[in-house]
Amino acid sequence: MKRWLFGPLCASVLAAAESAPVDFQREVRPLLSKRCVSCHGPDEHARQAGLRLDTFEGATARGAITPGNSAGSRMVARINHPKTPMPPTGPRLSPEEVTLLARWIDQGARYTRHWSFEKPVRPAPPAVKNEAWVKNPIDRFVVARLEKENLAPAPEADRYVLARRVALDLTGVPPEPEQLQLPYEKLVDELLKSPRYGERWAKIWLDLARYADTQGYEKDDRRVIWPYRDWVIRAFNDNLPFDRFTILQLAGDLTPDPAVDDLIATGFHRNTMTNTEGGTDDEEFRDSAIRDRIAVTGQVWMGLSVGCAQCHTHKYDPITHKEFYQLYAFLNQTADNDHPSDQPLLKLTADTSTLIMRELPMEKRRQTRIYDRGNFLTPGAPVDAATPEAFPPMPVSAPTNRLGLAQWIMSPENPLTARVTANRFWARLFGKGIVESEEDFGTQGTPPTHPELLDWLATEFAGNKWDVKALLKTIVMSSTYRQASNATPELLTKDPQNRLYARGPRFRLDAEAVRDQALAVAGLLSKKMYGPPVMPWQPEGVWLVVYNGDRWDISKGEDRYRRALYTFMRRSSPYPSMTNYDAPTGEVCTARRIRTNTPLQALTSLNDPVSMEAAERLAARAITEGGGGSKTAERLFQMALVRPPSKAETERLAALHKQAKSELKSDAGSVNKLLRFSENLYGENREITIIADSRTQAATWRYVSADPGATWAGADFDDKSWPSAAGAFGSGKKPPSDLKLPVKWDSEQLWLRTEVTLASPLPERFRLAVRANVQVELYVNGVQGVAAPWERAGYYDYALSPGAAAAFKPGRNVVAVKLARNHAEASAQFFDGGLYANRPLDGAKLTAQSLDHAAWVVVANTVLNLDEMVTKR
Amino acid sequence: MNALLTQRALADTRRHFLSQCGLGLAGMFLGELQGAGAENPLKPKKPSLEAKAKSVIYLHMAGSPSQLELFDFKPELLKYSGKPCPDELLRGKRFAFIKGVPKMLGTPYKFAQYGQSGASISELLPHFSKVVDDVTIVRSMNTDQFNHAPAQLFVHTGSPRFGAASMGAWATYGLGSENQDLPGFVVLTSGGNNPDGGKSLWGSGFLPSVYQGVQCRTSGDPVLYLSNPEGMTRSLRRKTLDALHDLNGLQQKESGDPETEARIAQYELAYRMQISVPQVMDISKESEATRALYGAQPGETSFANNCLLARRLVESGVRFVQLFHWGWDHHGNSRREDIRYALQPQAASVDRSMSALITDLKQRGLLDQTLIVWGGEFGRTPMQENRAGSGPYMGRDHHPYAYTMWMAGGGMKKGLNFGSTDEIGYYIAENPVSVRDLQATILHQLGLDPHRFSYPYLGLNQRLIGPTDEGHVRKELLA
Repeated sequence: MKRWLFGPLCASVLAAAESAPVDFQREVRPLLSKRCVSCHGPDEHARQAGLRLDTFEGATARGAITPGNSAGSRMVARINHPKTPMPPTGPRLSPEEVTLLARWIDQGARYTRHWSFEKPVRPAPPAVKNEAWVKNPIDRFVVARLEKENLAPAPEADRYVLARRVALDLTGVPPEPEQLQLPYEKLVDELLKSPRYGERWAKIWLDLARYADTQGYEKDDRRVIWPYRDWVIRAFNDNLPFDRFTILQLAGDLTPDPAVDDLIATGFHRNTMTNTEGGTDDEEFRDSAIRDRIAVTGQVWMGLSVGCAQCHTHKYDPITHKEFYQLYAFLNQTADNDHPSDQPLLKLTADTSTLIMRELPMEKRRQTRIYDRGNFLTPGAPVDAATPEAFPPMPVSAPTNRLGLAQWIMSPENPLTARVTANRFWARLFGKGIVESEEDFGTQGTPPTHPELLDWLATEFAGNKWDVKALLKTIVMSSTYRQASNATPELLTKDPQNRLYARGPRFRLDAEAVRDQALAVAGLLSKKMYGPPVMPWQPEGVWLVVYNGDRWDISKGEDRYRRALYTFMRRSSPYPSMTNYDAPTGEVCTARRIRTNTPLQALTSLNDPVSMEAAERLAARAITEGGGGSKTAERLFQMALVRPPSKAETERLAALHKQAKSELKSDAGSVNKLLRFSENLYGENREITIIADSRTQAATWRYVSADPGATWAGADFDDKSWPSAAGAFGSGKKPPSDLKLPVKWDSEQLWLRTEVTLASPLPERFRLAVRANVQVELYVNGVQGVAAPWERAGYYDYALSPGAAAAFKPGRNVVAVKLARNHAEASAQFFDGGLYANRPLDGAKLTAQSLDHAAWVVVANTVLNLDEMVTKR
Repeated sequence: MNALLTQRALADTRRHFLSQCGLGLAGMFLGELQGAGAENPLKPKKPSLEAKAKSVIYLHMAGSPSQLELFDFKPELLKYSGKPCPDELLRGKRFAFIKGVPKMLGTPYKFAQYGQSGASISELLPHFSKVVDDVTIVRSMNTDQFNHAPAQLFVHTGSPRFGAASMGAWATYGLGSENQDLPGFVVLTSGGNNPDGGKSLWGSGFLPSVYQGVQCRTSGDPVLYLSNPEGMTRSLRRKTLDALHDLNGLQQKESGDPETEARIAQYELAYRMQISVPQVMDISKESEATRALYGAQPGETSFANNCLLARRLVESGVRFVQLFHWGWDHHGNSRREDIRYALQPQAASVDRSMSALITDLKQRGLLDQTLIVWGGEFGRTPMQENRAGSGPYMGRDHHPYAYTMWMAGGGMKKGLNFGSTDEIGYYIAENPVSVRDLQATILHQLGLDPHRFSYPYLGLNQRLIGPTDEGHVRKELLA
């Protein structure tokens, strides 16, 4: 066990007997890779003394290694040199390491190829003692290993736990109550048929595709690429075979007679970023996108860090600098060129065009060159498209283009694709891959814990026509998957990371599942699929992007409660509750998320209004269905966690309910806000006008164009001498045609003031609505409330700062606005603004019933934060 | 606090390190894993070298201020002002916006020499000119990026493309944090916009996300989701956490998962942060005199407030404080971008407070252990940008070949004027300092060996200073 868990080095120290045969793959190669190969390896520029130690030929050519004779091998002498030992940096090799190398040389210095570069051979599932436990071949590999370690598998998880686990795994949401009665296999089949299945697995794929709804970099403008996202959802739901799935994404446009969907699929590599920052060299960022595509293709399908070879030959894996550019040549012939328009686009409807791949016509083909040190400004020798030599050649029938590259990746001879993919599906179900470094199957990657199981899964997957649902079903039907996840102290010591599978998987849910689950158990989750991304509630001020006036306008109705994968993804300002739970931003390919456990996650789940909305609704449902007291506690718990609570759990929740009632019993305001959380959050139907803009009857302002001095915005400033007028302000040749500008403003700056009278209780959530192409600053009784950016197409709301909102008082108030022109050469300057707010929540009535209900909301908020709730177990 | 966390807290993050460290290092970690169990990844760690600075305050001037108006006086350039730029300065060069042959542009501002170091400083920085003897000024910075987002990413993550870990993430990964009730890496922005490179400038990249910078805001919740929802009082919150503690405890007994214990600890930390973060972010607690020193006004979102907050944060043990102040991109296409009109208020918005930061830290005996770094992502051209033709406004294009940064405290040489540019400020004349040198020097001052401090990802030992050994610790800058 320790060998695989903690690496070959300590294994050799701990385990090896003098005469035991040395395993090159497991023991020697990692040591050479770590300590020798960066200077004595494939990279000829970095190579020292003309010596390479990563191949038998290189090592033996000039006597560094003399097979069978360690004493006569110069390598050993250099390592043992008393004054200047090899390697020249880092600690000296330990005596155990030196002995290992010497034994290996004495045994003939046999080099074998790195395990993952050899084509997987379907292994025979081993015979085991515990036949009764075996449901399919997976279990044989797992239990054979457990038997070697003298460990027994855990019993099967109870039906509630298992149903919740498999539903969260296959669909990303908990099971429906009626599904709990189904026999396990029937449940699995239903889940695989559910439209939720495609949504769950699409999101995982979109991490790899670095999917986002914006272009990236500085301006990070929107782009329409959600049709690609929808294509991925459909592909999973339709169980598109993985080879077809691959070929369409890499080269759908080059397949014979591509359908519209086949073109949309090529959006995979159109998810690279487009830099529209002023003053960028488009070729520089086109080049950057091509590199990204090569690196991502290598990482996603073959678990190869190809990107390492862009500046120099790969230091560890068999990809030369030249070969990187030969791969580059495959992808270098597409028509996209980092243009802000994101061309080429495919028109889908009158107002929807999406990004696709198109090959350049013959006459416009680019000549690919090797870039010295990866710099596109220093092109070197020309190269043609070719696949790296260390791998089987392209199929004879494959064309030398992107389509051929895709066919090479999916070729039965390719040793990596099936392994990498099967490993990825396994990892999502078990928390870690059989190869933990999912993105790196090269010599620097982690070795597989169960190499034969991996090869069995890979050959099963490829042999079964790349049927993804079948692969997933095989895994979830195994006894291995169905074990209870409870860990004994013995197991925690022997196998803390559960790499041997003597228990079921238990780990935190993904960001999306944390949100989707809360909404689902509350009955709030929308089942609407597909379409443009939505903007559920997020905190104010998250979007503040340079030179981009775009904003987050909260969606209406059920679009607030769509599954997380439909949430708008802006790369530079990702949805914060997702980021806090380790969701990536779509800037780079993410092969696996590193799960963390932080206080920000606690704050998010406790306090995010979305989570509170779920609590409000969950409590209401539990009250209706539960019928009061401990029955409500039980109902609430089971709705959230699928399983019924224990007596102790019910009692603790009931006690919390009692405590909450006692806390709230004289706090009508809090009771009201807890019970009407959602209504209070969105403030709909409570909007009031404080200062009207010219969309209705514009308010009257006093104004002046000469600097009125420092105290101009204060409540006590005397503005009687200023002229007054109602309406929008501005001038110019081409103001917006639908905006009347009754008050002429053509100076550099303008100062405005108006008075408003407010009654008690004061309104809440003050916001400035403004349509302008100038700099706007707003003050409330002299306190700055908004410094709005510039240039918006229509009216936009800006929340006033808390300080300015607090400056309002009952009675007379002064609202002051300063305007400043942006561009002298602009064809017009204009400002139209109004101030709006919400009436506070009224009708705070405290009754026995409202108190009871509010206390259940507190309980629901607690249940949604349980460790078990955010955990798949 | 630590007692709670040092139980197997944050287990998965920790496990990830172990698995990532894999292979050769595994043997060394073996005992640790099996003995004490997983540890809090933000636990203070002893650096491998002697640390001169315990914390860093990095003041990034997003958009890139003009060194020619602020620090690098070029009387010769004044002579050429208005004349066409010589061809040899343009040949083979790429500029962001300059097309054709631009005109040279001398500064409209006066410079004088200050302090014992005789530092030449512009009239735009009257406060800064009084603290020059505590500062190391480097007038020979250079970079290889000339667009904002890539250049900012390059400075903060060591790569002009997305996906690498930021400096603050590296620092907290390497050193942990001294205060477990606050984030170890805090980001504050001002100037009306987030910086061009977006949130990746303080991202964790390939490092676990526990090391990413936490953006603290001076309006609204100081940390997103910090406040209890409306209707949930603090005492109610305590009751819910007590219930969570008990119920999670029941679950933990059954599952045996150390991750559950870690989660219980994180919820308690969250509860403490609800107090500790607003406290540290409340500058009304500072004396009138201190607020006046910075020009800070409670309730505003300003660079002055953020400087004062930065001091409060490092004083409380935060490892890395990153300020971004937007609004330095003075191209001269409008009055708002004109170096004659817009640069003056922009410089005034930082001059008093950045100088106050030095003075204040010094008064408190904290300057020696706090490294302050100030600068943009590149410099500005000695030529006038000509995009708007011969319009009425004046400004400069992006210039990667030479610019100025300054540093103070944290073991830097005091009153040093380092490096120089040619007579028109186009090229570096002596002692060039690269972005990678800067990164190497900052890590070195924190006690981290920039060449060895790495994290294995995608088959490479990733480093802040990048894969090559171009970056060097610049010993000439150190005390």
